[in-house]
Amino acid sequence: MNYKLADIELTEPLAPIELSAGQNGLGLIARWQGRLIGFEMVELSDGSVMTIERLKTLADERFAGRILVAKLQEELRQRQPMGEAAALPSLSIAICTKDRAQRLSRLLGSLDRVRAESAFQFVEILVVDNASVDTATRDAVAGFRDVRYVFETKAGLDFARNAALHAARGDIIAYLDDDVVVDRNWLTGLAKACLENPNVGGFTGLVLPYRLDTEAQILFERRGGFGRGFARREFHNARFDNPLHPVGSGVLGAGCNMAFDRALLIKLGGFDEALDTGAPLPGGGDLDIFYRVLRSGRPMIYEPEYAVYHEHRETIPQLRRQYWTWGLGMMAFLVKSYRTDDEMRARHRAMVRWWFFDQLKALARAASRFRGHELRFGIAELWGGIYGLAGEYDRSRARIQAIRERNP
Amino acid sequence: MTTERFDVRHIDLATADTGTHGGPALSVFWWKDLPLGTRASLQDELPYGIPQLRQLAAEYAAAQLEARSIGLGAPLRATYEGWPKPALSLEGSLEAENLIESLEEFATTSSASAHDMSVVICTRDRGPALADCLHSVAAQRSAPGEVIVVDNSRDGNAKGVCGQFSSVRYIHEPQAGLSRARNAGIRASRLNMIAFTDDDVEVHPGWTAEIARAFADRDVEAITGLVLPARLETAAQRCFQFTMGGFGTTFVPLIFDRRFFEETKPSGAHVWKIGAGANMAFQRSVFERVGMFDERLGAGAAGCSEDSELWYRLLATGGACLYEPRAVVFHHHRSDWPGLKRQIRAYMKGHVAALVAQYDNFGDRGNIVRIGKQLPVYFLKTFVKALFEGPPGRLGILASEVQGWLAGLPFLLRFGWRKQRIATHVAAVDAKGIAK
Repeated sequence: MNYKLADIELTEPLAPIELSAGQNGLGLIARWQGRLIGFEMVELSDGSVMTIERLKTLADERFAGRILVAKLQEELRQRQPMGEAAALPSLSIAICTKDRAQRLSRLLGSLDRVRAESAFQFVEILVVDNASVDTATRDAVAGFRDVRYVFETKAGLDFARNAALHAARGDIIAYLDDDVVVDRNWLTGLAKACLENPNVGGFTGLVLPYRLDTEAQILFERRGGFGRGFARREFHNARFDNPLHPVGSGVLGAGCNMAFDRALLIKLGGFDEALDTGAPLPGGGDLDIFYRVLRSGRPMIYEPEYAVYHEHRETIPQLRRQYWTWGLGMMAFLVKSYRTDDEMRARHRAMVRWWFFDQLKALARAASRFRGHELRFGIAELWGGIYGLAGEYDRSRARIQAIRERNP
Repeated sequence: MTTERFDVRHIDLATADTGTHGGPALSVFWWKDLPLGTRASLQDELPYGIPQLRQLAAEYAAAQLEARSIGLGAPLRATYEGWPKPALSLEGSLEAENLIESLEEFATTSSASAHDMSVVICTRDRGPALADCLHSVAAQRSAPGEVIVVDNSRDGNAKGVCGQFSSVRYIHEPQAGLSRARNAGIRASRLNMIAFTDDDVEVHPGWTAEIARAFADRDVEAITGLVLPARLETAAQRCFQFTMGGFGTTFVPLIFDRRFFEETKPSGAHVWKIGAGANMAFQRSVFERVGMFDERLGAGAAGCSEDSELWYRLLATGGACLYEPRAVVFHHHRSDWPGLKRQIRAYMKGHVAALVAQYDNFGDRGNIVRIGKQLPVYFLKTFVKALFEGPPGRLGILASEVQGWLAGLPFLLRFGWRKQRIATHVAAVDAKGIAK
């Protein structure tokens, strides 16, 4: 499986999209006047052409309504300009990376392109080198102007995130993983979100696939990927339509693209270093921080124009492992929250119940339809959950204690 | 389902007033007089900020334009679940301009005259509620040609209330049964449009004008409208609105026609999606063409569904019904659990009875499939979901639904009852005699 990724502007006349030999599908990113309004995946026969007719049908069904909404938003904005915040806050962009110099360069390149036309008065880029084994990361940073380099000896993503938190100078800190590339409107989208929503705790954004070259990447995206849709969403301490909220904080977005009020994070004590430690517990940190921000009473905003492209796991075993870590991270986060947030205990318990019920339901569905991959991903996630429930958070606490002692 | 009481708050997005603050609420969004949608929120999510209101306004307005603007593919037909089937094209949305202006046009109040409309209200032992209902009817922008109250109580206890309203014609129908009362109202009415509402309802000031406008603009024989909750103070009311979906939550006009009927026929045409008896209107010709309400059905007889069974006949014989949410009424849901459970049981029992009647009338096997297969599957799924996910109280309601279904099954075997179906056509002839 190999899908071509195409980015089309709907205000221009539609043109057929040709696949090269070996490509058997299309990932279609649609824009209206440059604004991202939709993403669709279409399966096609090998090396065929997505004709104008098929494109038009797809656009009628999936994109036309969103264009209407976007137009109305513009008209409403002109009709009643709102009392937006007078000035933009200052911004620090933090990239935590370990031994991935090539990807880091790719991301820094994409940031260079958006940085020039930024509305922010002050933007700094911070690369936290999380104990890379060689100097390739340092050399990659040296190739770009105005990028600060910080070395963090304690290996573990949340060690690095906390190092960035304290080294940064901006009011807002925007975290990016090194396996993403930012969209051309990423900074504009973030600026818009900051102006519209002063005093919120943080922002999450849209995550689209960077490429769909392998079966694993396509499967991941088909199963929902990191996508959270093309409409702005608000998250608060509670939600009418979900009694478990904010415990299921995965709905907010993903850790590869998130921004926070830096002062608030410092007040909350930063990221939990026992989560997101890389192997063996490479997850849960984003769930935990979203949850704590919401619990502090500050809302979070999901802004689709603040978008990045994420390079998904390339092989099926890697992807299976990722699902395993999702289960693991989810349960580690729940165990930790259960201990630290007494008020929400009933919701944590209900969440564990619901999560297992939901996973089993998905497994049953996959089994009844003979979907081997689905079944294996489901089992991996379920097993990760069980393993996570069985004391993973404590094991991780012991591990990071050892890391701290080794790097005083 | 929270234990807190909810307010029902009305927010006009044209002025972007964020509404009064307070506890949790069901916010009903309007653009002037055009209802756009509802959204329930807890106190933590309120008040709505301007960006959120703007986004809601944009999404709601887009849905209205798709459903009402001819250039964007309107009118919309109802598809399988009673949802709109969008007909928007990329070209149409790229060319569309001055969208707010178009929205304003659709939001203008109707000035259509209702002098050719009879409003029929059937009541049974609900004096105070009936008085509120009649007050709201008296406050219509377009006064209806006549208002008929059919008192279905044994002792005619609504007479006193009706005496307070000079223009109300009072009819006493001592034989219990909502269908019987509705038919008495039809026979007594002298005008060409007949609009029905119930005694536990208050109608919006533009209700009659909107129905008259819809009949004038669109070639349909029947109209239904939006039923909003008047209050959500008790757990039973919130359960009915939020868990059971109230009386539907669609805010765009939809055509229910032969195609909808054919699409849903395999599982007993989903005519209950068309609307509610608390807010419906007909051209008199309907009753001449397909007969009146089936007196074996409805409250006081089999339970309910006398309204949807009539729509079934209407659609099955090639007619169409328009759902026009601009015609708004506010319904007072049952406020106590036992009352709600009785109501749910009656709904399900009546639903099964109506399916039997529909099968007898037209022979569509889908009706039987729904009784024997679809409903049990729905009960099972709801049971599993309620067990794991709640909301609390759902299981009790489900028990009432199952009881209602069980109580409805014997209708399949009541051959004497099933043979009575000729009555509707006899009634139709009566209506003809009166109409001439």
